[in-house]
Parts: sequence; C-alpha cells; structure tokens
Amino acid sequence: MPPTTGLVLTGIGVHDASGRPVVENADVTIAAGEVVALMGESGSGKTSTVLAALDALGPGLHRSSGTVRWNGVPIGRGRAARVWRRSHVGMLAQDPAGALHPLRSVAGLVGEGLLGSRRADRAKSVARALAEVGLAPEALWSRRPHELSGGQAQRVALARALVGEPPLLVLDEPTGGLDPATLELVRVALRRRRGDPRMSTLVISHDTDFVTGLADRVVHVGEVPAVRPRPGARVRSGGVPVLTARRLTLAQPPGGRPLLTEADLAVHAGECVVVLGPSGAGKSTLLTALAGLHRPAQGELRLKDQELPCGLAERTRSHLRAVQFVGQDPATALNPAHTVATALTRPLRILGGLDRSTARARVPELLDAVGLAPRLAARRPGELSGGQRQRVALARALAAEPDVLLADEATSALDAATAGTVLDLLDHLRATRGLAVLLVTHDRSVARRADRVLEFDPAMRTLGESALPIP
Amino acid sequence: MTRVLGTVLAVVLIGFTLLGEWAAPYSPTSPVTAAWAAPTTAHPLGADALGRDVWSRVVAGGRSLVLTAIPAALAASVVGVAGGLAAGWAGRRTDRILTGVADVFLAVPSLLLALVAATRLPGSAAVIVATVCGGAPLTLRVVRDAVTQIRHTGYVIAARTRGERSVAILVREVLPAMSGLVGADLGLRLVIALQIAAALGLLGFGAAPPAPDWALMLRENMTGVALNPAAVAAPAVALGLMTTTLALFAQSTAHRER
Repeated sequence: MPPTTGLVLTGIGVHDASGRPVVENADVTIAAGEVVALMGESGSGKTSTVLAALDALGPGLHRSSGTVRWNGVPIGRGRAARVWRRSHVGMLAQDPAGALHPLRSVAGLVGEGLLGSRRADRAKSVARALAEVGLAPEALWSRRPHELSGGQAQRVALARALVGEPPLLVLDEPTGGLDPATLELVRVALRRRRGDPRMSTLVISHDTDFVTGLADRVVHVGEVPAVRPRPGARVRSGGVPVLTARRLTLAQPPGGRPLLTEADLAVHAGECVVVLGPSGAGKSTLLTALAGLHRPAQGELRLKDQELPCGLAERTRSHLRAVQFVGQDPATALNPAHTVATALTRPLRILGGLDRSTARARVPELLDAVGLAPRLAARRPGELSGGQRQRVALARALAAEPDVLLADEATSALDAATAGTVLDLLDHLRATRGLAVLLVTHDRSVARRADRVLEFDPAMRTLGESALPIP
Repeated sequence: MTRVLGTVLAVVLIGFTLLGEWAAPYSPTSPVTAAWAAPTTAHPLGADALGRDVWSRVVAGGRSLVLTAIPAALAASVVGVAGGLAAGWAGRRTDRILTGVADVFLAVPSLLLALVAATRLPGSAAVIVATVCGGAPLTLRVVRDAVTQIRHTGYVIAARTRGERSVAILVREVLPAMSGLVGADLGLRLVIALQIAAALGLLGFGAAPPAPDWALMLRENMTGVALNPAAVAAPAVALGLMTTTLALFAQSTAHRER
C-alpha cells in the first residue's frame, strides 16, 4: 500500500527520440519527512527518471509511461506540472553553476523561488539562504554568475534550491564538484529536512559514502556495477622529473592579484601528484598554465631536461603530445556536432601522425581502455551521460600517448565505481608506461591514491607538501 | 513535428515557386479572358487589368523574388558568420572594431539602405546590398556571442592543446558546433531578404511589367481591387505563405541544435 503523503512515482518510462528506452518501469516512493537516495552507475537513467517525474525532460527525451502522485493527487503534464514544480520543488541540477541564468544577479536568482511573497520578506529570505550556505550576502548580492568562482556559483545554486524550504527537494549529484565545506552544508540541510513531515527529499548520487547515514532508503536504478580489483604495483621513480615548474607566479586575471607566488612543482614519471585546495583558490589556473593555456606572470617550465615554452604557440608537436589536459566540465568537454569516433581520431591523426583508417581502427581500443563499449563510437555527446562524456574526454587525452596528464577534477562527475575504474586505468598507465599524473581535486578520497599531495594555501598563495596519509 | 513540417513545407514551396512557370495553366503574360473577370472554374482567381489569368501569374510570380532573396540571404549569412567568428575568436580590438561597425549599420534602417541602393543599382543587386548591410550585423552579433561561449569549452581547448591553427579550429570545431544557430539565422535572413525584395518591387524598383511578380502584381492590381479582390489577395497570400514557411523552417533548424 503506497503512502498517501509525499511523492509516489509508478512505472516511469522514458524513451529517446529514436524510441530507445532510457528508463523502463521505474518505481520510486518518497514519504513525507523521508530522504531517499537514488543510486546507479552513470548512464543508468537516474536523472532522466526524476526529470520525467517533474515533467522537465530535455529535448529528445519523452515520458512514455508512468504516473506521478504528490500527497495522493495525480500531477498532470504540461501546465499542471509546471505550476506544481514552481510552488513545491527545489532542485539542484547536475551542472548547478551552468543552470544559473547568466544575466541575472545572485539576489534575483535565489529569490526566484519566492515569487509572490513581499519584496522585503523576499530580500530577508534570500540573505538568510545565502548566509546559510556560507556566502556573504552583501558582497555577492548583485553579482552575475560569471563573476563568481565555480564553488561560489554552486553554493548560489544550492541556496536557490533551499530557499523557502520547498516541500520536495531534489539534489542531482551534489557531491560532483562541491568542496568539502560546501558538501557539509548540504549534509546539514539534509539532516534538518529529515523527519520533518512537511518535507521530502530525493538525492541522486553515485557516492555511497555520501549517501550512507544521510538517506533513509536507497533505491537502485539499473544494474549494480561490479567493482574491478585494483592493480597493485605503484612505481615511483627518481631522476629527472617529467614536468617541472620553477618559481611560478600566476595571476588571474592576468596582471591582477597573484593567486600563487613563486611556487615550485615537480612530477616524476609514473608518479601521481594531487593538488588539493578550496574552490576558487586557483587550482584550475595552475593546470591551465602548465597546459600552456594561461601565461604565468613569472616562472619557467621544463619538460624532462628541456625547456617547455609557456605559450601554446611556441610549443612543438612533441611538447604538445607530451602534455595533455582534461578539463572539469563534462557538459562541454565534447563537440556536440562530432561523434565520439571523430573526437578520438583527431589527436591520433594530428599528434600521433596516423592516417584516417589506422586512427579509426584504434578507436574501439581507446574506448575500451576507459571502460566504454566500442559501440558508443558512433554516438554524439547529446546521447551520452555526463560520466560517459568525461571518460571520452579522458580517452581523447590518452590518445595522444602523453608523458604527463593534467586532470582538473576529472573524476568528480563520475560515480564511485566508474571513478575507481578511471583511477585504476591511470594507475595502470603509470605502472606500465610511466605516465605522470597531476590531478587537481577537492576530493580527499581521490587524494588517497596519490604518491604526493600538494595543498593550495590561498591565504599564503603557496603550494605546500602535505603529509601523507590523507585522513 | 514542427521540424518535419517546416522542412517539408519549405522544400515543397520553394521548389514549386522556382518551377511554377511550367505549372501555370495559361501564359502568365498574355491576355486570356476579359479584364477584371471574376473567378470562374476555368480561371479560379479571375483575371487582372489586361485579362491575364491571375492563378497563372501567382504560380509563376515567386521565382524572381526567391531567386533574389536566396543569394542575398546567403551573402548576409556568410559575411555575418565570418565577421562573428573573427570578432568572437580574436576578441579585444578586432572584436570592438567589428561590433562597432556592425552597430553603425544596424542604426540605419535597411529599407532606407535598399531605396538608396536601388537608385543606383538594378533591383536585385539593391536587395542584396540592403540585406547584407542590414542582416549581416545581426548575424555577426549572434555568432560572436556564441563563439565567445564556445571558446572556453573543453573541445576547443583540446583542439588548441593539439596545436591546431585558429582557422582549423573555427572551421572544424566552432562552426559545426553552432550549425543549428547559423541555419536558424539563415532562415531569418531569408525572411528579411524576401521582405526587402517585395518592398522594392512594390515601390517599382523590382521586376518590370509584363513579368509576373507578386510584388508587382500587388501594385498593378490595386486599382481593380473592387472588381476582382482575388487579384490582390492571391499574391499577398503567396508572399505571406512563403515568409511563414521560411520562418517555420528557421525554427526547425534551431530545434535540431541539441
């Protein structure tokens, strides 16, 4: 007997434009006062199930079956669902920063969920919501999303979801890309909602650690993935480092206040170095500078025993091949117009010097290496999940057969099992080919795999060696 | 649904308009019945001042308009896309100069430009000039904004770190990624070009009598609107139908974007 309070989804089915099922016959029940976690591997249709229930599926997907009931009342589609969504649902999307309207101020974005209340009350609620997520309301009040750091933008999105205490809160992959302090705020919010009979909460996550202890129940979507055993050997070699940065000073924007002053950094062959730091400290800027995308204010770079020019234009083909960069955002990692095969053959042809047919023939092998089925080669990014896209982006970087891989939060968009596979793959490449890996992350579980951890200290603007083991 | 409908309608209508001359039951240029004859079964839309069959003239009358509007829209799109790519990619001074020039052109009404150009140039050339001057700046602004967004995406960064040249990145990565946007914009340019061509035709700068032409027909048949209203309504409906179809088509390309 399903409960009459809360959200009840029965037999939800979602198909894509070509009629392929994305979600089949999903049943989810969230009683009042309950926190339910929806778990599954990336690409298993977690997000699609929830968006179908909210009648907010993206183009190309449609709900083919199923009913949605809220407190026992069926919710229709179209306008009825829209009205219900506006008044009852707070949502933190998978790419929360990207979901913020670029032209609206922080105050406007957060206050949007409170339409109908008095202006002064609204301002008070917005200020309180911002303060609750650890942001200074007066400093950020009239800023636009592009004037915020990635971490700040995500907190604004969180405030937007939490403001007004919505009866139904949906959090889509909250652990993806939030720094530990912000994640703690999410935990506090969830604990507060739990047990309150006016509120139901649904958390979509791939992170077992996060969900344990927070959720009343866990609902699995798709198959439960098998965990691959970890390859053991760890190589740490001395000698000349693959990539060295000396007295590196970085300013963002160029000419502005430096984020990092006179930092030294070295990565040896086969080594995994993790750079930890809070969001907005300049971790990403450090990686883009090493990749040649951001000119440092000062300092020099070396690749093995030769000088590595700071600008991309001065780097030779072998420099370019040796240093590969994987970005942070799976949503824009791949060109929407190109198939996966095209994305992977470009580096093989340009940096590997292969001809078209040889390059094409290597695509299945590259996909297999990052744990993707070779049949995905013909797909476009729109038909892939966030995790799959991120793995394709990784395959694209590995196609160049680099000496050092620079990865910016490369695993934060992946579920625990997939992230594990990717990190295993990197371990394997480090052991067999001597690939050096420099990972920027805020995720301490990733840092546990590192040979060395460097901590970004935003106050001192330095990089310091952190003592192992990481807690 | 709009996607299929828009594309099919646009293809059928443009095809019919271009080949219409052969589908006309009577000669569109010679008198076949009494002047201002009311619609009959033989002449479903009646006749005009010279007793020419209106249906035959409507069927044949879109060709020159469409043949002027298509190259004009293509020219505006090419100029605008090229400018937008350059402005968005190069940034800084190039961007400021190009958007500045575009703003100056935007400040001038394109119909005014068309009229000035028509005093010097043949009608179709004036349409092209006015469409490019009035439409390319709009395309430029839209494309420029899209490029500044795409510049920072993972796939463009990956192409840059592969050492690809700017032109190669623009052609291979940026342009395909915004093909939907460019297609939709081309549809809008086509609508505007058609409007300018029709406006010039109506003002007497377009096709010369006795050629069948929707704009010219509106102008000629206005005097007999009381005797045979269909002679004025038919070319007006044809123009409206063509513009609506092109707008629908533009919208369908935009939907294909994702």
